[in-house]
Amino acid sequence: MLGLMGQGLMLTGQIFVVTLVGALPLGVLVALARMSRFKPLAVIATLYISILRGTPLMLQLMALMFGPYYLFGAQMGADWKFWACDIGFILNYAAYFAEIYRSGIQSIPRGQYEAAQVLGYTRAQTFMKIVLPQVVKRILPAMGNEIITLVKDTSLAFVLGIMEMFTRAQAIAASQVSLVPYAIAAAIYWVCCLIIEFILNRVEKKLDYYHD
Amino acid sequence: MAEETAHEGTGKVLVSLEHAKKSFGDAPVLKDISLSVREGEVWGIIGPSGGGKSTLLRCCTLLETLDSGTLRYEDITVAKDNGAGHSVYADKATLAKARQRFGLVFQNFNLFPHYTVLQNIIDAPVSVQKVPKDEAIARAHELLEKMDLAGKEDYVPCDLSGGQQQRVAIARALAMRPDVLFFDEPTSALDPELTKGVLNVIRQLAEEKMTMVIVTHEMTFARDVADHIVFMDAGVVVEEGPAEQVIDHPQHERTRAFLANYGD
Repeated sequence: MLGLMGQGLMLTGQIFVVTLVGALPLGVLVALARMSRFKPLAVIATLYISILRGTPLMLQLMALMFGPYYLFGAQMGADWKFWACDIGFILNYAAYFAEIYRSGIQSIPRGQYEAAQVLGYTRAQTFMKIVLPQVVKRILPAMGNEIITLVKDTSLAFVLGIMEMFTRAQAIAASQVSLVPYAIAAAIYWVCCLIIEFILNRVEKKLDYYHD
Repeated sequence: MAEETAHEGTGKVLVSLEHAKKSFGDAPVLKDISLSVREGEVWGIIGPSGGGKSTLLRCCTLLETLDSGTLRYEDITVAKDNGAGHSVYADKATLAKARQRFGLVFQNFNLFPHYTVLQNIIDAPVSVQKVPKDEAIARAHELLEKMDLAGKEDYVPCDLSGGQQQRVAIARALAMRPDVLFFDEPTSALDPELTKGVLNVIRQLAEEKMTMVIVTHEMTFARDVADHIVFMDAGVVVEEGPAEQVIDHPQHERTRAFLANYGD
């Protein structure tokens, strides 16, 4: 049983890592677009964030999975469900991250930007050296929330037929007519989250060398 | 009436502002200001809150744009009045060049909280002016000695007192080797005890002939350190002249009324 759950956990872990690798940077682009002075870009970004946060992730995954065939008649192949899963998660989480980034960026006092401007920093330098490091410290708790939520959201991949850990647990529970697999799944999720909390705690402590 | 700064001085004009006008929405904040600062001079700008002093400084340091008027840094024309009452600003590259000519010390210091004292001072010279790191570090040590902050290189701003932070801010501005140093009420956020330390640093800079423009409420300090004082109220220069004359023998009614609040 644990072997099967272990296999499922590999898939869970894959979805988790791929989503973070994709959504963490994409969120920055979306946040910058959202805050852009170029109105059309800002409007598109706002719409993107609204739709992706406002509709269920499960439906988004299904839309990506079946959309290409039903809308364009495209046959996507057997592996498409994995692509749909990755893309769906990344797009969805980027929207949430973008809003957290935006709240962090907008909380940086204007004086920081002004000091940087007078000293002659370019806008890119100001963002990378002065703003971003301070933003990271401020958004850590909110990001922790999202990352922990992601761990459990991975179970939604079941709707695409991906046998990640929770789906496996369901299958085993059904075949063995037992609730034990569910308890094990819960325990595994919790351990994963404990590890994440531990890491975030360490990072917060490291950044605690200064305050405003 | 446009108040021209009528003073004879030697030395080249490092920064000049001609007929500057600026409004925020419908509210005029600078109504026709002209200012001309020569090398080695120290200008004090005094006046009631809302009189336009900060806006004047912010326009000179490119944090705000003029509506009309001309701003020049020696050979660089930053903004030119197009004759139709509109300031036309130079391109980005020219503005970047102009920014190298001046530094600004803020009332709230605006140090970078995640950088150590040393990093705060060396980062701009290294990143913007491409100064080699060792050179920047050596200069930083020099400046910290001068500011009486030797040994504090690895401290973070939040571990320092307000006065110490402001002195780091002054060092950070000086590290860029500006021609002119602007101060926007440098001691207004400090209690009297810490104020002294910062004023002494500025005094020392004046003795070393650093060209400075200081907006301040410290009248005694202004009288002692500045060569010229400008009294601004409601967006115009009401009175200007040699420091002792404006503070001790103000000519205009408004100047007298304002200075009366300061007791001496």
